[in-house]
Amino acid sequence: MNVKVSLKKKNMMNEKFGQKFEPIAPYENDIIIKSKKLNLWYDDNHALIDIDIKVKRNKITAIIGPSGCGKSTLIRSFNRMNDIIDCCKIEGEVNYHGKNIYSDDINIIQIRKSIGMIFQKPNPFPMSIFDNIAYGPRLHKEYRNVDLDELVEKNLKRAVIWEEVKDRLEDSAISLSGGQQQRICIARALAIEPDVILMDEPTSSLDPIATRKIEELIFELKKKYTVVIVTHNMQQAARISDYTGFMYLGEMIEFGETEQIFEKPRKELTERYITGRFG
Amino acid sequence: MAKVMHEEIINLKKEFIEMANLALSMLDDAINALINKDIELAKTVDKRKRSIRDYDVDMEEKVLKLIALYQPMAIDLRRLATILKNITYLYRLGRYGKDIAATVKNFVDLPPLSESLGIIHMWEHVKPMIEDAIEAFDVEDISKLKNFEERDNEVDQLRWSIFRESVSYMMEYPKYITACAYILMIARYLERCGDHACKMAEKIHYMVTGDHIEIS
Repeated sequence: MNVKVSLKKKNMMNEKFGQKFEPIAPYENDIIIKSKKLNLWYDDNHALIDIDIKVKRNKITAIIGPSGCGKSTLIRSFNRMNDIIDCCKIEGEVNYHGKNIYSDDINIIQIRKSIGMIFQKPNPFPMSIFDNIAYGPRLHKEYRNVDLDELVEKNLKRAVIWEEVKDRLEDSAISLSGGQQQRICIARALAIEPDVILMDEPTSSLDPIATRKIEELIFELKKKYTVVIVTHNMQQAARISDYTGFMYLGEMIEFGETEQIFEKPRKELTERYITGRFG
Repeated sequence: MAKVMHEEIINLKKEFIEMANLALSMLDDAINALINKDIELAKTVDKRKRSIRDYDVDMEEKVLKLIALYQPMAIDLRRLATILKNITYLYRLGRYGKDIAATVKNFVDLPPLSESLGIIHMWEHVKPMIEDAIEAFDVEDISKLKNFEERDNEVDQLRWSIFRESVSYMMEYPKYITACAYILMIARYLERCGDHACKMAEKIHYMVTGDHIEIS
């Protein structure tokens, strides 16, 4: 009610200057992925239990928790990566822009194009750096008339690796260091203009300097993209994320603003986990 | 490794209590030396200033090292942050004890001014505030901190009452002007000690609950 009154006032004021006030998007419009009672089983193993999570646009959401708690399973369910596992059964919803990605009429290719994924171990294709980045666009029709040189350069710059590889784009991507390979993978994911980037422990196989570079890159990425990152490194989650969810035995124990989770967790289990008093 | 950090935090808490007791003893002995005109006791307070300084430097180093090595979170981080802030307040308390002890020699040949002007009474208000803050830190229970604001207001009122009495005393007995000026200074120190106890209480409240409060 108050919002309406103030908007009306603002419109009245703005009309004097010949412009109309744009109403602020309601909170729900900022939610890009929203799961509802998401349950997932690997055969009899109930890996995700009633997960309700809201991922906000242009924010970094971190998922933390001990090994086997379901963190990776959760983010893999955000772009239907679990479909390829035969024994996997899913109930509930994952709504992406308000549409359930598990409904029958969904285009899985489109979903995976819009929701990119970066894995723990860098996995560049065994081909040149250039071809790695151009691979996705070459497969999609809408890039048919795009200048690939320009596209490759733009995305390598976005992934902050252009300066390091610009003179050797024809070299094999596999010849690069681990940190560079991971940034190539990020550039490759960015090349098809995703909306959301899922990252499954993207720095756990990297040295501290490469880790720092990837973290800085993730921080930059949130200006344009929405990032969901699974990490074992709590300091990393505390450093880079805006929201953090703590999972344990398939359940989302606590979800909130990162500062609150790490400074003043509400649940005792979260407190015990982040202070190392666990198990 | 978390276990090592938790043990270190327990040790640091013990060390903090030791430092707190040292600061309290410096103030307590300074006031007793003042009341009893006991120069020897006042001297022992002065000797303790080095120890309180050592605690301050040593504990600050230990806290920073723990933060750098273990990146503590939640209650562990709040405990360390509280120790880091409160050692400064404890150090100041100890220094006020030293400063009060340094004035004792000026009262030796005088009538019991401090007693008649209510310094003891003021200390009887401030001392339990410091003791309660130390206990709240030790047992991590904020129930004893609840009425700190009222207690601090009482201390402030006592300070102004000493101020008024001292001024009239100075007018009546000009030969005691210097001594009364010291009394005013001591009352001001004790009032600051009450403020430091409140600041410590704020940090301890944050340590226990995670919420910042202001005791003004």
